[in-house]
Amino acid sequence: MPNRRTFLSSFGGVVVGVMLPLPRRVVASDHCHPAGVLGPHPTPRPGITAAKVLTKAQLHDPKLAPLFDSIRDIPGVIDGIRCNCGCASAEGFYSLLSCYEGDAMAQHCPICQGQGKLAVRLHKQGKSLDEIRVAIDAQFGA
Amino acid sequence: MRNRVPVAALAFATLLSLPSASPAQIRASELGTVSQMIDGTRLTITYSRPRIRGRTKLFGTSAAHWGEVWTPGANWATTLEVSKDVTINDRRVPKGKYSVWMVLKETGDWTTVLDPDFHRYHMNPPDSVATQIRFPVHIDQAPSVDVLTWSLPELTVSGATLAMQWGTTRATMKLSVQPTLTVALAEGEARPYLGRYRYTPLTGRDSGKVMALIVSYEKGTLKGQFEPNVEWMGKFAMIRVAPDVFVPGLYDSHGEIYEVLRPDMVLTFARVAGRPMSFEERYEDDTLGGSGIRIPE
Repeated sequence: MPNRRTFLSSFGGVVVGVMLPLPRRVVASDHCHPAGVLGPHPTPRPGITAAKVLTKAQLHDPKLAPLFDSIRDIPGVIDGIRCNCGCASAEGFYSLLSCYEGDAMAQHCPICQGQGKLAVRLHKQGKSLDEIRVAIDAQFGA
Repeated sequence: MRNRVPVAALAFATLLSLPSASPAQIRASELGTVSQMIDGTRLTITYSRPRIRGRTKLFGTSAAHWGEVWTPGANWATTLEVSKDVTINDRRVPKGKYSVWMVLKETGDWTTVLDPDFHRYHMNPPDSVATQIRFPVHIDQAPSVDVLTWSLPELTVSGATLAMQWGTTRATMKLSVQPTLTVALAEGEARPYLGRYRYTPLTGRDSGKVMALIVSYEKGTLKGQFEPNVEWMGKFAMIRVAPDVFVPGLYDSHGEIYEVLRPDMVLTFARVAGRPMSFEERYEDDTLGGSGIRIPE
């Protein structure tokens, strides 16, 4: 259904949508820091590893483990992607990989999760980092 | 992408706050800030806010006399900062921070002066120099407010009305930002996408039902509409954000775009022999929401 999933899951469909105010769309600022002016995608740090990416045992929601595991497989790619949710203003932030480390905003933020899932999916399709960046920019803004 | 989003509450959605780290001090004109994002451009006005304090007349008095170059605030000059180039009353204002001044006139428009020297005391207005940006500003009367107030009472996807009011005197300006998306698409680029696509939603109540996406070209814009019609989307603009990638732009009752579903919903077309033949609909968390296949004509 071409609909907002939050709307469907909460209210069950278009018919209700006619009667109720439009649901607020999920945007970065609902979950994270307000997104400001975006910078360029970062350059992957030489030798970067996924050592700090949270493990299943460290996650609040174990259902996120497959995503975090997928991120762990390609740290050199994820480290070359900017996060669009506003994480970049957080201390110690470098790249989308940072969203999956430490306090791991990706545990809660649909933007961090969505960008990660998109990157993983496209990487599995054989896309290059540059191609993944283009897709990230197309969907999440540049 | 001009439109109206006349939501009165938006005037108050702007941030009005006190600086958290200021020393404890009671001021006749307390410091305030109003800030607003508009399509990726941040606008911030910082100003000290004088109160009427029983005065029956504000302008044309010693507080603000006619002909004066006056900062619409108090203490240190009011500042305007924009994170990208904007236009105000059709004058280009480059990204940066400016002190704000107004040349007060008893009748007719006032003149707004933006000076790159943004740290000036109100007693020290700038001389007229070439680096300043000057434009006329319309003055009208409105129900009185006690505290000098900057606000953005109207927002659109591409701009805002910027207002300064003290007492009953109100100055309003039209601000426009640089749009980050281009709605228009050349007919030659749009034509390959035109047609009907059999659409199968994969999530939600209608999961598995067979619908259609009708792609048309109207008034220089590629448009989509689901069939049966999805009420909250109606006929929407398909805004290209990358080759073969589109996001829906929703129209209000005036035919103006009021919201772009980015990153909420992305339609990515796949080509066969150079022609778009199918598409995927994905959400901001990369969930596959549905897919479509071109219906042969």
